[in-house]
Amino acid sequence: MNNLFQYVPGKSVIHRMNPITKLLITIVICVAAFLSDRLLFLAGLLAVDLLIGVIGGVANRTWQIFRGLLKIAIFLFLLQVLLTRKGTPVFWIITDQGLLTAGKVVLRLVVVCMPLALMLAVTRISDLTNALVQVLHVPYQYAFTLSTAIRFIPQFMEEMSGIMEAQTARGVAFDKARGLKKFSMILPLCAPLLISSVRRTDQTAAAAEVRGFRLRTRQSGYKRYPFTGVDFGAFVFCGALLAAAIIL
Amino acid sequence: MICFKDLSFTYKGEKAPALSEINLTVEDGGFLGIIGPAGAGKTTLARAITGMIPHHYTGDFYGSVAVNGLDTVDTSIDEISRMVGMVFQDVESQIISPLVEDEILYGLENFGVPREEIPQRMAEALQKVGIADLQERSIASLSGGQRQKVAIASIIALKPQVLVLDEPTGELDPRSSRQIFSLLKELNEEQGITVILIEQKIMLLCEFAKQLAVVSGGKIIRQGNTRDVLAHADELQALGVNCPRVTTLSRMLSEKTGAAQPVCINLEEAEKMVRRLIG
Repeated sequence: MNNLFQYVPGKSVIHRMNPITKLLITIVICVAAFLSDRLLFLAGLLAVDLLIGVIGGVANRTWQIFRGLLKIAIFLFLLQVLLTRKGTPVFWIITDQGLLTAGKVVLRLVVVCMPLALMLAVTRISDLTNALVQVLHVPYQYAFTLSTAIRFIPQFMEEMSGIMEAQTARGVAFDKARGLKKFSMILPLCAPLLISSVRRTDQTAAAAEVRGFRLRTRQSGYKRYPFTGVDFGAFVFCGALLAAAIIL
Repeated sequence: MICFKDLSFTYKGEKAPALSEINLTVEDGGFLGIIGPAGAGKTTLARAITGMIPHHYTGDFYGSVAVNGLDTVDTSIDEISRMVGMVFQDVESQIISPLVEDEILYGLENFGVPREEIPQRMAEALQKVGIADLQERSIASLSGGQRQKVAIASIIALKPQVLVLDEPTGELDPRSSRQIFSLLKELNEEQGITVILIEQKIMLLCEFAKQLAVVSGGKIIRQGNTRDVLAHADELQALGVNCPRVTTLSRMLSEKTGAAQPVCINLEEAEKMVRRLIG
């Protein structure tokens, strides 16, 4: 869980793609998932997600993300199935319409969430930031905010486990509590987490300032991000995917 | 040259001043060690040099700090950061990027170092700190000590005229600590970089720093050449600052023999003194 958003180094086609292209693929998959209303097409998109993970050489990570999403998906599916009243009953209070809608909602959720997490696995955050600034002309401050937010996720997790360890050392038995009880034990820890996070964020801002944060311009990035053949191939793929979403 | 004139500073929202009436001058090419108990104001002193005080941390600011003749109040943090590089005490918050390579690149990119020069500067900085093999690694996979070295390398790569380090060896083992101190000495002697080093490792500090400043309760209690400051060992002890054992030895021997012995600051000197006394 701790490294779910971390970059996995590699040299695959996906790794070599322009960060902007990867961002585009992510967006196109999300848009396609909302454009199409067919269960089969959504299942196809899920297959595309998984395939991207495999080609990118991050099959393990893909599986991890998928498994994590599955838990939420099952919960949502049950909720949806039990609450939908339209259609002909199939079994007890479950209707065919309910099954279909629930299936689509859940598939859509998984299809939309996966490429985002996958993109972070195969793209360096710094590349994403620099490419956003250089290619899309996003102001650096905004791009920096985005990359810092993503970078802070594992740091906050580290901090939280540090706080929990400190509590455990003082006799709080987190391991014995489950469910709501555990939640109510963790909740008060949000205050120290918040305080230390704000302090840390402020110091990071200071650290960035004394290393020329404000001097940075669009041309400052050391690497350049030209589009190559792979990217144009990906554009064609994106176009096809969008067309299919509209037609099907 | 860095020049503090009657500097007093109170952080916003605090009652007690963090620094009061600081007068301190560090010449170009100097190597100043700053020691003092926790909460003495050492970090605040460092922040004042980098312009973080008063630009980032606001509060009541009296007196003046000048870096190369420029008043830090009138000069922007960017302008100061071109001259002064700082390594923070809390390494975690200093590191901005998730990868070692990007962390070193960050400052180089910002300061507009020519592209052709960047790979060499990066390799040099990593190699000097002794972590050339970590270039491709992610920060999350590194130990505390390794992260500290990354932070130091990222500043050294910028080749600042003044280097301010706030307890840069806090998480390092004795061997790495000595390595970093030697590196600072090399930068100081060969490239004329002014080094201002806050450190608790008194033995190393006394061996390497040309000058010492003892800070306590927001005031500079004593400053001067390392040897002269160490001559007041009992005063330092009273403040809770430990003296190097060799210095304590020379003081004890002065008392026992009834004749003033020279203040020793390293092992060789202590050895000479003892040999002479034994005859």
